[in-house]
Formats: sequence, structure tokens, C-alpha cells
Amino acid sequence: MDMRAPANANAVTPRNRRRLPVGGWELALTGLLAAVVVGFGAAAPGFYTGPASLLGLTENFLPFGLVALGLSLVILTGGIDLSVGAVASLSAVLAAQLWSRFGVDIWAAAAVGVALGGVLGLVNAGVILRLGIEPLIATLGTSFLYGSAAVAAAGAEPPSGFPGGFTALGTGTVDGVLPASLAGLVPIQLVVFAAFAVLFSALVARSPFGRVLVMVGYSPDAARYSGIRTGRVLVTAYAVSGAMASLAGLVLASYYDAVRPDMGDVLLLTAITMVVLGGVSIFGGEGTVAGVVVSVLVLGFLRQGMLIAGFSDMVTTMLTGAILLASIAVKNLFNRRGTGLANQIWAMIRRPEPPRANPS
Amino acid sequence: MPGLYAAQGIRKSYGTVQVLKGVSLDLKPGRMVTIMGENGAGKSTLFKILAGQVPPSGGTLSLDGAPLALASPSAAHARGIYLVPQEPALLPELSVAETMFVGALPTRRGPLGRVDWTAMRARARAALDALELPIAVDRPARTLSIAQQQQVECAKALLRGCRIILFDEPTSPLTSHEVEHLFSIIRRLRADGCTLSFISHRMDEVLEISDEVAVLRDGLLVDVVDRPSFDRTRLLSQMVGRPMKAVPRRSVSNARDEVALEVRGLSDGARFHDVGFSLRRGEVLGLAGLVGAGRTEIAETVFGIRPAAAGEVRLGGETVTGLDCHAMIRKGLVYVPEDRARHGAVLPMTITENVTSGLLERVRRRAGLLSARDETRISASAVRDFRVRCAGLDQTLRELSGGNQQKVVFAKWMTTGPRVAILDEPTRGVDVGAKEEIYEMIDAMARDGMALLVISSESEELVRLCDRILSVYEGRIVAELSGAGITPAAVARSYLTAAAPSGGVAA
Repeated sequence: MDMRAPANANAVTPRNRRRLPVGGWELALTGLLAAVVVGFGAAAPGFYTGPASLLGLTENFLPFGLVALGLSLVILTGGIDLSVGAVASLSAVLAAQLWSRFGVDIWAAAAVGVALGGVLGLVNAGVILRLGIEPLIATLGTSFLYGSAAVAAAGAEPPSGFPGGFTALGTGTVDGVLPASLAGLVPIQLVVFAAFAVLFSALVARSPFGRVLVMVGYSPDAARYSGIRTGRVLVTAYAVSGAMASLAGLVLASYYDAVRPDMGDVLLLTAITMVVLGGVSIFGGEGTVAGVVVSVLVLGFLRQGMLIAGFSDMVTTMLTGAILLASIAVKNLFNRRGTGLANQIWAMIRRPEPPRANPS
Repeated sequence: MPGLYAAQGIRKSYGTVQVLKGVSLDLKPGRMVTIMGENGAGKSTLFKILAGQVPPSGGTLSLDGAPLALASPSAAHARGIYLVPQEPALLPELSVAETMFVGALPTRRGPLGRVDWTAMRARARAALDALELPIAVDRPARTLSIAQQQQVECAKALLRGCRIILFDEPTSPLTSHEVEHLFSIIRRLRADGCTLSFISHRMDEVLEISDEVAVLRDGLLVDVVDRPSFDRTRLLSQMVGRPMKAVPRRSVSNARDEVALEVRGLSDGARFHDVGFSLRRGEVLGLAGLVGAGRTEIAETVFGIRPAAAGEVRLGGETVTGLDCHAMIRKGLVYVPEDRARHGAVLPMTITENVTSGLLERVRRRAGLLSARDETRISASAVRDFRVRCAGLDQTLRELSGGNQQKVVFAKWMTTGPRVAILDEPTRGVDVGAKEEIYEMIDAMARDGMALLVISSESEELVRLCDRILSVYEGRIVAELSGAGITPAAVARSYLTAAAPSGGVAA
């Protein structure tokens, strides 16, 4: 095109101004995490009795984190998946039954369980897209279906007492692969979670799928007009959410060395809290996986610390609610679009710049 | 007669941008004052301040000599001031009568304070009758046309006892027949002694209805003219601040022989029927018509985002009928939509993300991930070629002006190397300077051999850009103009004649 060298073009090619994919929110959460860990380490005897005990605490909450990672994809599209708890229960129960009733190898049964979770996610997406039902209602409905299927499949005496290799998934540490000095230190759960955290972060921040996922989240219409097949994006997000929920269910089964048809119920609300505290907007589009990962650690260590310090579950839950509300209030004050109260105050203090945009 | 509404030295800034720089204006009872000015001159902001929707940064308002501070639109209503928005937001599920009484439902006496539906319907009927509006009060509001919604808004203003009525660009979504009806209502209100003001871009309407014209330019009132001294050229030159040239016309056509896009017998079964045309490489073809004539629907159906009921679309000789827009883009057909904020761009995403979003496949991959370096390279060259003014490639589109947003949307599509581009209202919401730049870009794309279909509601724009113009009226192509036959008057006449009762077609 012959407008390559116009006289009044930008003299210098504009570059990116920010380099890091994390913003102020992620940094603030990291500060909060440090405060929680150091605070409990100093004030609650028994919270820190060595690196192994600290890392070992994560085994109590990382299943929530696995659910939160998958759920964050769905919430980034502007949707919600309320069936994650029921999916976790149903997959774990069915995998356990495959092993106990039909003699299938436990790892093969677990793989079938994760695949089943993906299929249940596809069903969710089908209900949302084909029947045109809001994600909130659609997944509430399917969560009842999946949950009662889990009760039916579990029978009177659900299986328990898995082979030792399988229970290591929930309670074992990584030995042999890592240097000898780390033997008995790093839980397998933590390695699994870290691997998925890195994978999901790359997926959302830099993969073509992540890009269209965020576009659909911010503006489904604009995505459609850009030639994006938005239905496929949603189908993938719900399928991944289902598979991650199943994985969490299987880790829980391994951790408890048993399955119960209601074992996944506790996952849902905590996982949603983790995603939202992590900075993902429930309206879609905004948020990073890094934020969700830090938020998983913040809420997880907070709960474990409170329990060790002797507070009841009630106080811990109350505090979680308060932190969620306070942090979202703070976030809204500094929201990225620059319209928050704190931003406006800052704009008044700051030296005026020459006008760039022209409203109206 | 009461109703003298005066603004004195009104100023307004958004952040560091000064939109109004001290505007003084008197609105008098029984007179219609029209505010004219280009996009961004501050017209709507002035109206919002007059109607209590936004507070001024400085200056005073007074009503019949008494100072007035308006805290909210309802405070303005209480003082008798009512703003009819451009596209009235009536609550779609309520009945006409209910929407008229929203927030002020008449109630019966008694402890429960139940709504008095009978009185409500009767009073709504009376208000509509006062303006001779034949609209049933029980109709759901969603079934009303935009023209009828405006009429209901007028009745609503009277119902609330408002005698100072402001209209924000009421005529732009209306057909000429509907404009006539609105004007008859306005004349009635004026004869009744109401204080009236409206915003319009359409010179003919302004000259017809106004008693006084006030011209805003860059936040300042540059001219106030009384009816006897109305002068088209003077008003136009005041608006742009320089004498108007005759509309320039491209002297050479870049059209080549090769057909790029061919459409035959296309219908969607509802909004348009039997549309056929062919577009050659390097040609700029215009679609003229009234707002709502079905031009956007035609474009969206060709693009594959809207289903066709009948007909054929051929792209470079290949039949592409029935493909979705994902496939169309990859075949080399792109569409720059009319509604930039909803369809064209994702405003909270960065310039780079928007530029590459049209065709992500072209960004190089490393281990399956998008290469940030390659993405920056594509975006930087797009920003340079399309003269986007920005502080950095990672600025979000929300931070850019309308003109620069539109250039980013252009860049998003044109850098995919399309053979055919459909541009729907390419300069809507764009300031004068950027408008000319966009015209130059369209010329350059045509020179490069791209085939362009341009939809515009501004006759001057089509005259400036197009080799050939098709005129659309109620979903059918009613005329074709080409060569010396293309003048702003001829373009407007081509579809307005179709709108005339005789139904004649002129070219």
C-alpha cells in the first residue's frame, strides 16, 4: 500500500510499555500470601515445623486448586460451572467401581474417570448451547443429575482401600526424580498442581485458544464478527473444567483412600472463591491464571493455619468471606479501566497530560 | 410567558479533556433553537448538562432569572426540563402506559397504596391524544418503532408537566415520513409555548424547523443565527471552521475487469429480497439508503454471519454461499461492522490483540504458543501503516479516540490481505481529520486492487469514495448511479424517490 511513509505518521514505532504478564493484583495477592505464611509461622505453633510440614499442608487443599484452574477457563468466558463438585464425585465413584467391581487396573480406571469428566463437561456445554439455557441454571441442573448418579453408582458400601501406588497420588512425596536432599519433601499433589498451573497459564496468556477464550469472555459478539466459532470455544472450556474436576475427585479418593458420593460437594464454593479472589471477573475476559494460583495458596494456607491455631471451621469460613468481599472492594477501587475511585483521585493529583482521547 | 432557560458560561471537562469551554445560550418559550456542530463539538454534553444528567465543571444555569442547580434528571423533570434521548430506552416488557408512568405510578388512597391502573391508562391516553398520537396504551413498549418511542417520550414529557423539551438528534434514526410527523408534534408544542431545542446534522431539517440556530465548534459557541438570516453555506463553514469546498470526486477509477464478488438473488426472507450485484477488483461500490433499509443485513448475509434464505454468493468465481464468516475471512472476504464498540473491536483488549484477532493463524508459533515478538511486529507495522495515534501497542482500545479505534479495526482486517472488504459506516463517530485519513486509506486499498463495498448514510461520503452506487429502499435495490451521475443530491434523491407515495424510481 502506498501509505507506508506518510509525513505525519508516528515518528517512532510504538512499543509495548508493560512486559510482565502479571499486574498489581497478582503482586498484591503474593504479598498477602507472604503475610499469611509468615504470620501463621510466627503466631501458630505447629504451622511451621520444617519445610516438609509446610509443603505437606498443601495436600489438604490442592484438589480445590485443580478445580479452580479448570473453572477459571469457564469463568473467563463469562460463564460458570456449578457441576464441578458433582462431576468430581461421580467420576471418582465410577472409577472406584470399575476397579473394585470389574477388576480394571486402578490407573486405567482413573483415566476413564478423567475422560468421563470431560464428557460431562461436554454435556454441560451441550445443554447451554443447544437448549439455550443460562450456564448458571444449566450447570445447577446437571449438578443434581450427576450428583444423584454418583449416589446410585456408589451403592450401600462404596469401594475403599486402593492399591498403595494410587494412594501415593494424594499423600505421597516425589522421591527419586528430584535431588536426594529433597527426598520426602515435595508432595506429588504439589507437582501435579504446579504442572497444570504452568500449562494453564501458558494456555490462557499466550495460546491461540486462550486468546479467543478471552475475546469471547469480553465480547461474544465481537468474537463472532471476528470469525471465531464461539461455540467450540465454550465446548472446550466446559470439557476442560469437567476433566479437571474429575482429576480433583480422583486425588481426593486417593487422599482419603475411599470414595463417597458427596465427596466433591465441598469443592464448588471454595473453588469459585479462589477464582474470583484470583482476579478473574465473573463477567468474563479479565484475569490471569497466575492470580488464581496465588489465590489458591492464600486461601489454602489461611484455612490450614486457622485450623492449626485452633480456630473453629466457622471462624475460618467467616474470615474467608470477609477477605473475599474486602479484596474485591479494593480491586474495584483500583480497577484496570481507570474509572475506580482511587484512579480518579490519582488522576486529580497527577500533573495533567495533553489530551489524547476525545470523548463524545 | 415563563420558560426562559439560560445557560451562562457552561464549561465541562472529562479528565483532562475540555469538552465545553464556556457556552452561553438562551432557550426561549415558543421557540425552537437548534444546536449544530460536528462530532465531538460538545452538543450532547451540553444537552446532558441542561437536563441534569451530568454536572457542569463551571458556569451557571438559570430558569426565568432564578439560578438553578440540577442534581439529577428527576430534579430536572421537577423543574419542567425533559431530554428526549436519541434512542429512547423504554422498558421493553412494559405497556406504553406503564413506561410513561415509570417512577411516578398513580396510586389509590389507602394503606396499600395500590396502583390505580384505570387512572394511569386514562391519563396516558389523554397525553397521547393531546399530540394526536394513535398509539394504543396497552401495547407492549417493545413493539413500538423508534419513531413511536420518541413520540411516547414527548407525551411523557407533557405528562410530567415539562415545558422545556430537549431532543438529542431525534431525526437520525427516522425515515423522512416519520421526521415530518415528529416535526408536526414539535410545531404543536411550540405553538403551545413550550421551550424547545434539538440537535441535528441534517441541514434541510434544521432550516425547516428552527427559529434560531446555534453552532458549536470545539466546545465553543461560534455563531447564533436567527431565522431571517439563515444561510446554508454560512452555517456549514461555521461548523467546520473553514469554507466548505464542493464535494471532491475521484477522477480516476481503479476498477479492473476481473469480478471479485458476485451476488445473485440474495434474500434473507425478511429484511431484503432479490439483491444482486457484482463488484470488480479495485472498484468501490456504495450502498446508499435510509437507516433501516436493510443494507447492513445484506452485508452481514454476504459475510456469512446471518443466514440466507435464497440466492448465491460467489467470491472470485468460487461459490461460497452458506459458509460461515470464519470460512469467509479465510477465503478473503472481510467485514468492518457498523457498531465498532459491540462488533468491530474488543475495547478492553490491547491494540496488538485486536489487530491480530482477525486472523490469529498468521502469528508465528513457538511450541504451540503465539510468538510475542511476531505479534508485536505485525501490530507495529499495522499501527504505522494505518497511522494509529497511540502511546504504546499495549494500550487498550478503550483509551483511544473513535477515529483511532476505527483505524485499528481497519488494520485488523486489511492486514489479513483480503480480496473483498465490506465497510459499514466506516467513519461513524470519527472526527474530521481522521475521516479524511480513512478516505485516503480506502482510496489506497482500491488502488491496490481490493474490491470494496461501502455502506454509508452520508451522501457526501459515498460521492467522495465510490465508483458506482446502488440505492437500497426497503430491502430492494431501486437504483444504480455511476460516473457523472453521482452527486450528493442524486444519491439522496435515488432512494427518497422510492420512498415517495408514487413509488417511482429515479436514477
